[in-house]
Amino acid sequence: MEKFLVVYPDLCTGCRLCEAACSYRHEGVYSPSLSRVRVVKFEDRCLSVPVVCNYCEQPPCEASCPTGAMSAAPDGRYALVREDRCIGCKECVNVCPLGAVRMHPRTGVAVRCDLCRGDPECVKVCTAGALRYEPLEAAVREKRRARAASLNPV
Amino acid sequence: MREIAGDILYVDLSERRAWREPVLHEDILNFLGGRGLNAHLLWKLTGPDTDPLGPDNPLIFGAGLLSGTEVPCSGRTTVTCRSPATRWYLKTSGGGHWGGELKFAGIGHLVITGRADHPVYLWIDDGRVEFRDARPIWGKDVRETDLSVKKDVGDEDIQVAAIGPAGERLVKFAGIMFSVYNTAGRGGAGAVMGAKNLKAVAVRGTGALRAAQPARFHEAAVECREALLAESGGEGLARYGTAGSVEAVNELRAWASYNFRRSRDEDVYPLSGQYLVERGYLKRRVACLACVFGCHRYTELTRGEFAGCYTGGPELETLGSFGSGCGVSDTEAVIKANELCNILGMDTISCGSVIAWTMECYEKGLVSARDLDGLDLRWGDAKAVIEMVRRIAYREGFGDVLAEGVRAAARQVGGDSYRWAVEAKGLEQSRVDTRSAKAYALAFAVNPRGADHLHTETFAEFGLSPEGRALIARITGDEKYADPCMVEKRAEIVRWHEDCFAVTDALGLCAFSSTALYGVTPARMAELFSAATGHEISEEEIMRAGRRIVTLEKCFNVRAGAVRADDCLPWRLMHEHTPDRPDPDAINAPEELDRMLDEYYSLHGWDLETSWPTSETLESLGLGDVARRLAAAGKLR
Repeated sequence: MEKFLVVYPDLCTGCRLCEAACSYRHEGVYSPSLSRVRVVKFEDRCLSVPVVCNYCEQPPCEASCPTGAMSAAPDGRYALVREDRCIGCKECVNVCPLGAVRMHPRTGVAVRCDLCRGDPECVKVCTAGALRYEPLEAAVREKRRARAASLNPV
Repeated sequence: MREIAGDILYVDLSERRAWREPVLHEDILNFLGGRGLNAHLLWKLTGPDTDPLGPDNPLIFGAGLLSGTEVPCSGRTTVTCRSPATRWYLKTSGGGHWGGELKFAGIGHLVITGRADHPVYLWIDDGRVEFRDARPIWGKDVRETDLSVKKDVGDEDIQVAAIGPAGERLVKFAGIMFSVYNTAGRGGAGAVMGAKNLKAVAVRGTGALRAAQPARFHEAAVECREALLAESGGEGLARYGTAGSVEAVNELRAWASYNFRRSRDEDVYPLSGQYLVERGYLKRRVACLACVFGCHRYTELTRGEFAGCYTGGPELETLGSFGSGCGVSDTEAVIKANELCNILGMDTISCGSVIAWTMECYEKGLVSARDLDGLDLRWGDAKAVIEMVRRIAYREGFGDVLAEGVRAAARQVGGDSYRWAVEAKGLEQSRVDTRSAKAYALAFAVNPRGADHLHTETFAEFGLSPEGRALIARITGDEKYADPCMVEKRAEIVRWHEDCFAVTDALGLCAFSSTALYGVTPARMAELFSAATGHEISEEEIMRAGRRIVTLEKCFNVRAGAVRADDCLPWRLMHEHTPDRPDPDAINAPEELDRMLDEYYSLHGWDLETSWPTSETLESLGLGDVARRLAAAGKLR
């Protein structure tokens, strides 16, 4: 079954190890500003929410890309940015409604989550279970049960 | 080295000047970073006469050497200066995310000297430093300050370290608040910041940290993470926070209650981490940067008298000081007091302690309702406690007396009130009742900043976990010494924990990773250091660096006039039993402490009469220049 990177925002403790793991995997360094996943914090409420590419079924970043740099891998399981084709026009950044596509500060090409080619590092370090790589139906099932339980506590 | 350690940023507030210097390789090898390099910088920048609240007392922020990386629990920042509360050495540390952000800005250490001529805040935007007008936010609480600064610079993702009204008013236990609710609380660093007219330090870092040997470093970090997650105490810490052990400590008769008149509280469950979860006060677990546990709490009160209250915490210490310490068992009131301390910018340990002391004075008639402007400050009166918190922060009425700390307050009130002023070196003691925990007793007595557990956390002596018992066996040769009532081997236990804690702080790790849980061993810290810097260091060498740091901190106090008599414990703990532990040994008797101190100084190579490190000891640790300075001051034997 196809797996997705599913976010459970209620469980995020805000440790930001996902950012460290992501930037290390992709860049060999530790740098939130180079991470594909970002944790947005509302500190007065100790609230943290991971924001990452949601893998839209109709990705506007791909539709708007004039050069075909934003494209799916041949088997369709993860997304790619073909750096040799990216001209740095930032259309993808403009159209992404999630703020999940950014420009690389050094190379000037678009950056988005590639699911570590099917084995996301951020998930491995998320001890809180806020980021999971799982079939969507599993996530829906769990969220459905949690919602039902909250309405009718057992 | 620079790519992992960052530069030193110097800021002179008087001259409005800022400049950067690279860290010296040899300083990192000798002092590791964080707390260690801070100690080295403070030693160099101060003298015996440095006025804690004067412009020449440097306020030094040190992010951990490994802060900002994937090493688990590596997000702690050490603040170092001369303490206005004790006039001795002060290192105080806080969690949150500020230190990591400083590292991403390319800075490991921030050294602030001078005094601005009006309130300012610093805006460190990667390589750029701006002095910004803080007059519009002077007087605001920490939460408002955080939001205002973020709005002012136009970025809500930045990190802010700030003081509240208590720091502005030079309350001697004002803290510096990181990421709103993470406090560098002890010893009054917030007052030093306030005296400099510095309201906040805002940071944005967009850079990157690179280990010298990235693959090896990554592997070592993964190993640390897996080791921590495998620990028996990890799940409880995550689920119930620091206060998860309140009941266990209480049953051990080590739970300071009623201003240390008792070492056990009858009704302690409402003050436990378990209760916070059960009653739904806990809304979220919160992690500092890179933490795999998330022991920090976020609580809200949605009903009742304090509805609308929301805050980080409460931690074990807070539940202890405002709860059992004041005879209070009202959870919601403690959460409210915690919120006030957080947003007004005060240490909850000292604040609760001075109030508990006042309750005892009130009961004994040394402080009257008139002294308190009509406040009926009886044991267990939660509302009176909350009102007193506010008065202390704003120095209103008797709050002004208490804002000076319990030692100064006892001098002012007089009589026998010093006997229940539970402080040593001028610092209010943290929760552990050291009469029932002898390694804690020794560690508290020799702590250069005063009586508390955050230079040396000897939790293992309780023998509550298999990992703790194994550690005691490794240090002493026998697991039977994992017994808090024993005096034997306490010096060895304290020394190991001192060294380990210093390394832990220097690398920016949390004490819960190495001296309360134990997955990040000294060997693993040596491996991390070696891979991060490219300089091979062994377990023995890194522990020796820890010893060097501890010794240098001691030397700061020696230069400032410390002698053996300063290594003592609060009067009450040395002279009074509690009804909960009538056995004759359950007291920190002066003779018993003396015996442990003799062993401790001997083990360290310090002079028994004065407590001063000897010339040979200093030379053997590579602190020859420190020895020469002390010799010139007539403080070397």
